[in-house]
Amino acid sequence: MSNIEFYSAEGLRMDGRRWNELRRFECRTNTHPSSSDGSSYVEQGNSKVICLVNGPMEPENRSQLSTQKATLEVNLNIASFSTTERKKRLKSEKRTQELITTLERTFEQAIVTKIYPRTLISINIHVLSQDGGLLASCTNAVTLALIDAGIAMYDYISAVSAGLFDTTPLLDLNALEENVMSTLTVGIVGKSEKLALLLLEDKVPLDRLESILAISIAGSHRIRDIMDKEVRRHGKVRLSKSSS
Amino acid sequence: MKLSPAERSYLHDSLALQPPIRPDARSPAQFRPLEASISFLPSSNGSARIRLSDGSECIVSVKSKVVLTANVSSLILVDVDVSGYRDDSNFVSNLNYHLQSILNSHFPTAVLRLTSRYSFKIFVDCVVLLHTSYPLGLLSLTTYLALKTTSLPKLVSEVNDEEVEEQPTFSDDWDQSTPLIPTNSTFQPPLLFVVAVVGDNVFIDPSREEQEVSENGMIIGYETQGVISPFNNISLSDREVKGMKLLHVIKAHLLVKKCGEEVLKALNSVAKDEGGNAIF
Repeated sequence: MSNIEFYSAEGLRMDGRRWNELRRFECRTNTHPSSSDGSSYVEQGNSKVICLVNGPMEPENRSQLSTQKATLEVNLNIASFSTTERKKRLKSEKRTQELITTLERTFEQAIVTKIYPRTLISINIHVLSQDGGLLASCTNAVTLALIDAGIAMYDYISAVSAGLFDTTPLLDLNALEENVMSTLTVGIVGKSEKLALLLLEDKVPLDRLESILAISIAGSHRIRDIMDKEVRRHGKVRLSKSSS
Repeated sequence: MKLSPAERSYLHDSLALQPPIRPDARSPAQFRPLEASISFLPSSNGSARIRLSDGSECIVSVKSKVVLTANVSSLILVDVDVSGYRDDSNFVSNLNYHLQSILNSHFPTAVLRLTSRYSFKIFVDCVVLLHTSYPLGLLSLTTYLALKTTSLPKLVSEVNDEEVEEQPTFSDDWDQSTPLIPTNSTFQPPLLFVVAVVGDNVFIDPSREEQEVSENGMIIGYETQGVISPFNNISLSDREVKGMKLLHVIKAHLLVKKCGEEVLKALNSVAKDEGGNAIF
């Protein structure tokens, strides 16, 4: 590991990116029109995530029903083949559960839940391939799928991960980089600088935090633009179909 | 799925007619339209995805690992994960069992031998994102495609390591990798077909409504040579299962024999396709 140069003197990372550059970000909405109300597919570098949204619908058991607002249910399925080394993951794993809770709390705030009382919104996430930024790609996929399902949201939630290498903040880490430096995942509300999500699993010096936050906000804004473009592209296709 | 008595009787009677009428106007030997893509997972040796017209979808990945042959009981491990079902539920373990047992008995593990000590162990992981009808047929088709598109790295070290202990080493050039199933080999992975029985008729690839009114079901194996074991009986509906006549077994056998060849041909043409590695 030690002979890999994570950040060269010329300012290049191992995959040839500069410190503030994102990986290839590709997204699609409405990928599963016949099996769900809303669906999306997000590729962030080599991370690949499918998200299916069903609802708002009547919940199966009454315990999930709230008379005030919609209930959110997130299922995260991380495929055992998603990492280079195959590893079977249990649904009850602590890390998975934590990600689920984070996503639920974030989207409970992002969705206008008060206009869907007595309903359940079920979100199913399938992670096919992991290469860093797991929570970020899941968040982006959920945002797109919710928009596709026509569920009212206050704004886009776009997320990206960032880390600190020595004193340089690096944007959108891949799995190798994520292994050697502390990683911060940030979710931003639309074009604002409001944080909807913040996850840090290890330590970062307090005086460096601001610079990491600054590049991750800039990165999230760029991701929001790419997602917005895809939503508008898909909207145009749908409109042209319905008008003809 | 609940059908009203009128719906049930209408469906059952039209399927039991001579010739039968299926609700989507298919012939008894016809599959539902499907959409397939291959080799989209960069970290797997082989991958495939199949989606049916009703939204049922299955993704299969094949991964490999080098193991000491003496240490493992089986060189193939199948793992099925169905969205919405517990891994230890009856439904999932049954699907797992069917796929595992047909691969164990009809997949020549000799192709996985590397040296006299080491072998490749392959992991076949299936994810069912959504299903409406019994997903075994869909799983089997996707597994077939994934195995067909699997490539293994090329061995560059000695094959004979009986005297000198040596760890196998591989070429780092992925272009040199060898397909798990050589293109010219006569051997093909086995397939499983699900057949539903209504009246005196048998139907391949039954949809959810057809399963619901079926009196019986069968799981039948197929390989290039023809129909192989297993020839299992399965209940596809929640209602009571009726007995099976010899006529049903013969009809189902002929049906699978007739479809199998065409299905193999269609799947092979998909597997040959070097299409871009996009999933959608």
